[in-house]
Amino acid sequence: MNTKVFGVELADELRGIVREPAALFFSIVMPVAFFALFVSLFGKFSAGGVSAGTTMLATFGAFGVISVVLMNPGIGVAADRERGWLKSKQVSAVPIGVTLAAKVVAALPYAAGVLIAMTVTAALTGSLNAPLPALLRLLVVLVVGALPFALLSLAIGFQVGAGAGAALLNALLIPTSVVSGLWMPLDIMPAFFRDVARFLPNYHLSELARAQLAGGPVLTHVLVLLGFAIVAAVLAAVSYRHARS
Amino acid sequence: METVLEVRGARYNYGATQALDGVDLAVGAGECVALLGPNGAGKTTLVNQVIGLLPAKAGSVRVRGGDPRVASTRRQLGVVQQSLGFPNTLKVSELVTGAAVRAGKPRAAAGPVMAELDLTELAGRRASKLSGGQKQRLQLAMALVGDPALLVLDEPTAGLDVPARKRFWQILAERRERGTGVLLTTHLIEESSAVADRVVVLAHGRVLAEGTPDELVARLPDRTVIARTGLGLERLQSLPGVVSLRNEGEHVHLGTRAPEALLRVLLAEDPGLTGLRVEGAGLEEAVAGLIERGAA
Repeated sequence: MNTKVFGVELADELRGIVREPAALFFSIVMPVAFFALFVSLFGKFSAGGVSAGTTMLATFGAFGVISVVLMNPGIGVAADRERGWLKSKQVSAVPIGVTLAAKVVAALPYAAGVLIAMTVTAALTGSLNAPLPALLRLLVVLVVGALPFALLSLAIGFQVGAGAGAALLNALLIPTSVVSGLWMPLDIMPAFFRDVARFLPNYHLSELARAQLAGGPVLTHVLVLLGFAIVAAVLAAVSYRHARS
Repeated sequence: METVLEVRGARYNYGATQALDGVDLAVGAGECVALLGPNGAGKTTLVNQVIGLLPAKAGSVRVRGGDPRVASTRRQLGVVQQSLGFPNTLKVSELVTGAAVRAGKPRAAAGPVMAELDLTELAGRRASKLSGGQKQRLQLAMALVGDPALLVLDEPTAGLDVPARKRFWQILAERRERGTGVLLTTHLIEESSAVADRVVVLAHGRVLAEGTPDELVARLPDRTVIARTGLGLERLQSLPGVVSLRNEGEHVHLGTRAPEALLRVLLAEDPGLTGLRVEGAGLEEAVAGLIERGAA
């Protein structure tokens, strides 16, 4: 029964996105536009045998994917809560986890869309030099690795209104992404940024993505993201319980 | 008659505030029970326990024998909220079909319910574009499509015009004949008098009185003084023996257990008083009187 219900929930979410795509438009267009700007300026530089454009696919890709999954489920759940729609789901026969999972999963095609748009942009500017398997690994790592951000997004959505949620999530997204080197390489940033970045999941997701293209250790990044997933899940559960009563 | 809702000794507190203090309540199949009481009486807390949003901290709440906190039990429930904002992006047919699937019914169950509630012609319209009455009918369709044993209605006709209200209760009456129990909370007490089989008056988290509307009215020797007067509402409220006050058109309705004393003061203070008559108390006055006596 839950599979059928999940299908209905997912269809409702996707209809919501397709019929009123303004929110996702900005979370897709902005990262892709930034990427297009930076990759056309610096994409052809090379370091360690990998073009800057390809490396940027990992860093800007991490930003784009985080942007989609951090912003949309949280703002969606906050709006649903404000209009009483979440309550109507809570009192239905559907376990609330199914409803929330549909919200997260519905954002994933858009996250993949951001990555595909960036890949095409990098290719068009002639700065993409990664084989297809590496690109597919990058896509999987970024999309799966971004899921804990969706949990954090839900945790915030259970507590604040849609307007405040959008502001708060943006206030989380932009600074942590800049400090994590998702817009500009950490090598050209103050040393302080590097010290802070180590504690941010954005940085570890981006490094994990870079490792798919250029190789390198992954265990630390995986462990940090797993830890972040657990913390975000606990936060989301506590936040839901609080919102519920 | 099968019991579809059974609440026994339900308690709930928010910190030091005791919202529910040992409430017992039952709704039988096909029965409509109205839950009345002033703001803060515990109605919302009790309803939230019935629909599974809150646990009973003591006592028990059972819907057809099951705990409404468990998702599968909630298949027995249909809920109509006072004001539900539908997502801007979903159409009427999608919402009713979705509600059917969520309730474990086939998609095809949506069609007959939409027809029953005159929603077929609106099937392709976005729910957010519907009028208030249409939205309430849509909510009712979503609540009924799962063929629930118990309907929980929270101020279901607030904001509806008279024909829309009549239609709403007509549909409900048909469902009740088929065995659906109804728990209703409303501030439209006279309306509940017309549709409810039993009334439960809640105050300070306790059941203050319970019975048919006629039984509750008969418990009080109260009268209603009706008149057109130039006196302000504040002054009217402070007149001796006034236990309730409401406006109806140009008339005020003053519930009192001392009509003679009230009439003397009214006539003395407002020489221009017209349209004066004294009637037996209605349910609204009876409930107000019961609450006042319960609080005393």
